[in-house]
Amino acid sequence: MGASSGPRLSGMQRQVLSLYRGFLRAARLKSAEDRHKIESLVSNEFRHNANNVDRKNFLYIEYLVRRGRKQLDQLKSPDTVGLSALNMGPSSSICSAG
Amino acid sequence: MATGLLRRAFTGISSSPAPTAARYVLLRAFASEPQTDAAVPTARDTSKLKTFSIYRWSPDNPTKPELKEYKIDLKECGPMVLDALIKIKNEMDPSLTFRRSCREGICGSCAMNIDGCNGLACLTKIESAGSATTITPLPHMFVIKDLVVDMTNFYNQYKSIEPWLKRKTPAEEPGKEILQTKKDRAKLDGMYECILCACCSTSCPSYWWNPESYLGPAALLHANRWIVDSRDEYTEERLDAINDEYKLYRCHTILNCARACPKGLNPGKQIQHIKQLQLAGANA
Repeated sequence: MGASSGPRLSGMQRQVLSLYRGFLRAARLKSAEDRHKIESLVSNEFRHNANNVDRKNFLYIEYLVRRGRKQLDQLKSPDTVGLSALNMGPSSSICSAG
Repeated sequence: MATGLLRRAFTGISSSPAPTAARYVLLRAFASEPQTDAAVPTARDTSKLKTFSIYRWSPDNPTKPELKEYKIDLKECGPMVLDALIKIKNEMDPSLTFRRSCREGICGSCAMNIDGCNGLACLTKIESAGSATTITPLPHMFVIKDLVVDMTNFYNQYKSIEPWLKRKTPAEEPGKEILQTKKDRAKLDGMYECILCACCSTSCPSYWWNPESYLGPAALLHANRWIVDSRDEYTEERLDAINDEYKLYRCHTILNCARACPKGLNPGKQIQHIKQLQLAGANA
């Protein structure tokens, strides 16, 4: 994995970390059980991507950061109660609405 | 061909006084001819294959983006690029993703870069010449998938110019329309037709280099539309809001926008108008 959480973080790593911080801060403003669900989902997602996505795959990391920022904006609104994910399976099959 | 045969049959009958039985036999012989049109060539026999090179990138399979080639028979396809894309999606590759809605050039969803020029896929004819057509998403925009781009920055810029009527004094007749002369309404021509397809903004090199700070030709065209509207009373405030080094003056009259607009509008001209008003406002 090679997480360089030492003194020198690259710009992209800083963006990812600030996004993570943003999510945790937004979760703090929700009710207790919602907060727990949001935190567990967000940390799972970040950990999963950290393990599976190649460090050099800038295109995909930037795409994930942009998507995360949009989701964070939605989460910040007081009406939003939580996040959920829906897995449609492999996109190669026609019935999975590509 | 059939009519020629029938004409010959009738002339034969009028010239020679043949008995009725023979006339009927003559007609029947010619009547069966048109049904055996075996020698007529159909349009399906020959096929005109055209190659489309389409930009593909999927977030589920995050490798480098690539240009995938598809061959389409132009005889079995409609004339527009959108028809080809739909045919590819229906028959060859269902995972091809693109935006589309009206198929008549009024919604602005299918804006993409076709052979280097921005335009609407539903209004761009397929060039039937041999070389491949390259279809890529709108330039310098973040790609969500295949030909679908992220338009949120574009829409936020449109929202930032406050594209609604703002008045300080109430209307003369409350509950009724605010009246406007025909001349004043004519001032809006060339601006109200904008469908926010983003072809102009994404063709502007100045917008490519400063997408967050420069508003872009589309938003500035709409800003002018509200500045010039005689019913709107916040003209000065609108002019002050965009009188910014980056928001307005990144425009260097490159005029790619006028070339790219699929509706034939000229955003560069409207931006010039705003600049002239700013100058007049600064002098007065």
